[in-house]
Formats: sequence, structure tokens, C-alpha cells
Amino acid sequence: MIPVEHYIALSAVLFTIGGIGFLVRRNMILLLVSIEVMLNAVNLALVAFNRARPETHTGQMLSFFLIAAEAAELAIGLAIVLAVYRIKKTVRVDDANLLRH
Amino acid sequence: MMPSLLALMPMLVIGFGALALMMTEVVTDAKTGLSIGTAVVLLAAGAFAGAGWLAGPEHLGDASVFAPWLVFDKFTLFFEMLLALGGALAALLAGGYLREHGIERGEFYALISFSTLGAMMLVAANDVLMLFVGLETMSIGAYALAGFRRSSPKSVEGALKYFLLGSFAAALMLFGFALLYGATGHTDLPGLRDTISAEGFHSTGVVVALALILAGLVFKVSAVPFHMWTPDAYEGAPTPATAFMAASVKAGGFGVLLRVLLTVFGDERSASWATGWPPVVAVLAVLTMTVANLVAGRQESVKRMLAYSSVAHAGYLLVGVVATIRAPEQAQSAVLFYLATYTVSTIGAFGALILCGSRGAEVVSYEDLAGLGRRHPAVALPLAFFALSLAGMPPMAGFFGKWFVFKAAMDAGLHGLTIIAFINSVIGAYYYLKVLVFLYMREPAAHAPVAKPMWSGEVVTAIAVSALCVLLLGLAPGGVLDMALAVGAHG
Repeated sequence: MIPVEHYIALSAVLFTIGGIGFLVRRNMILLLVSIEVMLNAVNLALVAFNRARPETHTGQMLSFFLIAAEAAELAIGLAIVLAVYRIKKTVRVDDANLLRH
Repeated sequence: MMPSLLALMPMLVIGFGALALMMTEVVTDAKTGLSIGTAVVLLAAGAFAGAGWLAGPEHLGDASVFAPWLVFDKFTLFFEMLLALGGALAALLAGGYLREHGIERGEFYALISFSTLGAMMLVAANDVLMLFVGLETMSIGAYALAGFRRSSPKSVEGALKYFLLGSFAAALMLFGFALLYGATGHTDLPGLRDTISAEGFHSTGVVVALALILAGLVFKVSAVPFHMWTPDAYEGAPTPATAFMAASVKAGGFGVLLRVLLTVFGDERSASWATGWPPVVAVLAVLTMTVANLVAGRQESVKRMLAYSSVAHAGYLLVGVVATIRAPEQAQSAVLFYLATYTVSTIGAFGALILCGSRGAEVVSYEDLAGLGRRHPAVALPLAFFALSLAGMPPMAGFFGKWFVFKAAMDAGLHGLTIIAFINSVIGAYYYLKVLVFLYMREPAAHAPVAKPMWSGEVVTAIAVSALCVLLLGLAPGGVLDMALAVGAHG
């Protein structure tokens, strides 16, 4: 059996990759993908922690709700990206620069 | 009626009421009644929360019925009433604004209702699962509201920033809760508290989790340095949506922040000045107040100034949150009272801003306000009134809100923090008074486009109710203050 630490290490690596991707990428679609990678790292951690405590199913249950809510959130996100694309004809965040201090 | 049903009534009324309003919009194609309908539904939900308050939370059925998902204590009921009022006022503002600007679509009211429902679930949550579902329900509605004017580049751009940073913050918070689950095996907040206080606050996992959760939560209340989305989203959004985000979404954020910090991280080590979260939150409070006040003074757009002002108010509220470590009951009730005064003042201010402009002649910059006090005194007066309340002038509500928070911080021995907060509120008065200067002491430049006021019964009603609440909280704060104190005493 693979020890739970390995899963957590993988989850932390995925979360970091997603976080760095979010901070350095400039393409709106890739930003959405980066957030998705981070949220899936959370799901992996929850399921792995649950496996270490098999007496309850709290972690798995939470991850199911996360998957559903993520889908709803992503739908809104894509709708907003689409609305930006219709106006600006670009998916680069740098071109969304109307609002400045 | 079954007592446990009464506890759930506020959420049920909003949920089913919003569904019914959505169906009405599809079937009849009539839009004029929707804003009043939404306001009635939300106020009915608030009235049920009030009935639950009068019955006493201990009579709302056995707590084990809802355990571990939801908890209906006085804290929850207070927030439910506040959120219902905020949502109802924002819906009334929307009725006038959307019609005037030709963007009236029924979804707006459904989004406000469901977002309010999410905020109520958020403050009632007693488990990470409910907390997350409530947070997402609230936030998804708010993202859509911010981008409601789809043809406006500013609106969709503000919504994009809000959405991207909001999802990023939610991911940080969730990873924190996942680590906490790994360290303790619990997702219910009381279980987390018991395990953390029993095993001590020393494992690296718990510290990292606390940092991640805190980052996610202070994003929702838009504290510096997690405030970058706030001015953009607030400026781009249709003004009623801005009022809703500034009042209800922020109140929900502070509700959950207090719940998590006081319940889960309320033990001796986590809440101590030397080893826990208080110094971090104190630094955030100082940064938030100072940066927001300095930047707000430099704004040319009145709406953007109000956005920074809402960030500054989050800073004063964070001072109250820090004070909960030494004077828990007093500081918690001060924060609740401040949120009540802030909700009515800020919705009133945005409402007055709506009333000052009309389609094609909106108020954007201070220059647009020039001379309005002489040309349209009836319209300029509410804006001046609410600006004074936000600045914290007696006898308006804002004064007592600040007074109680500062007093709680003094009693908690946080002298330095209180002095910084006080200096900041004096600096803050500058940009609110600037509104008055432009309203009453300037004349518009020749050939400059002038703002033309609009007329709408709904908007005027919302402003009148807010003004009444502001005066009531300022002249006779006793009733609401007693309620806030009762929340503090019962935890």
C-alpha cells in the first residue's frame, strides 16, 4: 500500500504547480485550468487523508461536493471569459486594462 | 409549527421565494413587480429570523437536528436579519436602476436572492462542507452580478478579476481545510476546535492550514493586500450590485471570519498575541486602513472612492476582530453593531449615487457632482447625509459603530492599534467631506456634461429606509446594541 504521505506530497506539488501557473500565465483559459489543478490537488488530499482514516467518509463526501461546486464555478468563469472575449477579441489578461488606479 | 422548521424558515423562504419569482418572470414577462417581490421575500425571511430571535435560539428545536451541518444561535439569527435587510434594499435599488439604464432582466433578482441565501448558509455553517457550499453559493451569485452588464467592457473586466482572484482565494482556503482535516480527522468546526485545543497548536500542518484559511477569508472581506479586485469589481458592476457586494457579501465574509477564528482557532495558543493569529490580523488591519484611506483620497471617481472606503471600513472591522482575543463578548458585539451601521450607510450612499444620475448622465467623477446641491437640493441631501455617516460624524450611525469598535480595542489593551485606527478615521473624513465640497461649494465648468438626477419610487424607498436606520442607530443605538451584546454573551 502506498503510504498517505506520498499522496500528500503529490497533492502539494500539484497545488504549487497550479498556484505558480495562476501567477505567471497570462491566458485566461490557462488561468482557469490552473485554478482547476489547485482544486483537484485539494480533492486528492481529501481522499488520501480519508484513506488514512477509513472509519468515516467525511473527506470523500467533501470532495464530491467540491467537484460539483467547482463545475458551477467554472461555468460562471467561462461565461465571464466569453463575455470578455466578445468585447475585446482576446483572451490575454494584460489586454483587460480599462480599470486602473 | 415545528420549532426546527422555524429555524430553517429564513433560508426556505428565500430559496422557494426566489424560485417562484424566477417562474413568474418566465411566465408573465412582467418585470416591474420583481424588485418589490424580491424585497418582500427577503424581508419575510428576515422577519422569520426575527421570530426565531424572539422565541430564543434554545427553543428552535434540538441542536442535534442540524448537527453538525448548521447552527442556529443568536449570532446566526443576527446575521440573517442583517443580510435580509441588505439584500432587500439592494433589490429595491436595482428596481429603479436597471429600468433607468435599460438592462432590466429578471436574473438580477434571482442572483441577489440566491447570493443572500448563500451568505446565510455561510454564517450558519458549522461544518467545512456547509461553509464551502454557502461560500460558493454567495460568491457565484456575486461574480455574475458584477458582470451583469455584459456589453460594458468595465463590467465584464471587473467581474473577470473578481472571479479569478476569488477562485484562487477559495482554492487556498480549501487546501487549508484539507490539511486541517488531515491533521485532526474532523470537518465539523466544534470537532476541529476540540482536537486543536487538546493536541495543542504546534504541528506545522495546522499552522500552514491557518495561514491558508486566513488568506482565503480576508480575501472575501477585501483586506489589503488581498483587495486588488475590490475597486475594479465595485466600479465596473452595476451600482445596485456594488451596494450588495459592499454590504451583504462583506457582512457574510466577516460572519464566517469571526466564526472560524473564534470557534476553531479560539483556544489559548492560537488566539494568543505571541503564538497565534492576532498579530497577523493586526498587521492586516493597519495595512488595510492606511492603504485604503490614502488611495481613496486620490480617486477621481466617486464610485471608486466608495469602493476604497469599503476597504477602509474592513480595516476598522478587523481592529474589532483582533480585540476579541482579550474582550471577546464586547469586541464581537462591537463588530456586529459596526456591520449593521455600515450596511445601512453604504447601501444608502450607493442609492444616493444612483439617484444623482440618469441614463447617459451618470455621476462618475467628483466634477459631475459640482453644484448639484444648488440645482437639485433634494437629491444632493441624501448623498451628503450618507457620506457623513460613513465618515463617522455624530449623530449618524457611523459614529457609534466606530465608537464601540475603538472602545472595545481600548478595553482590550490595544492602545497602539486604536490610535492608528483613530488617525485613519480622521484622514478618511477628508474624502467624504470632498463630496460635500463639490455638492455645495463648486459650480460645474462651462459646457461640462452635468449629471441629471433620475426619479424612481423604489430607489427613494430604499434610501428613506436606510436613512431611517442610520438615524435610529445614531440617535437611539440601544435596541440594536442590546441585540449585538446578547450575541456576544451567548457566543
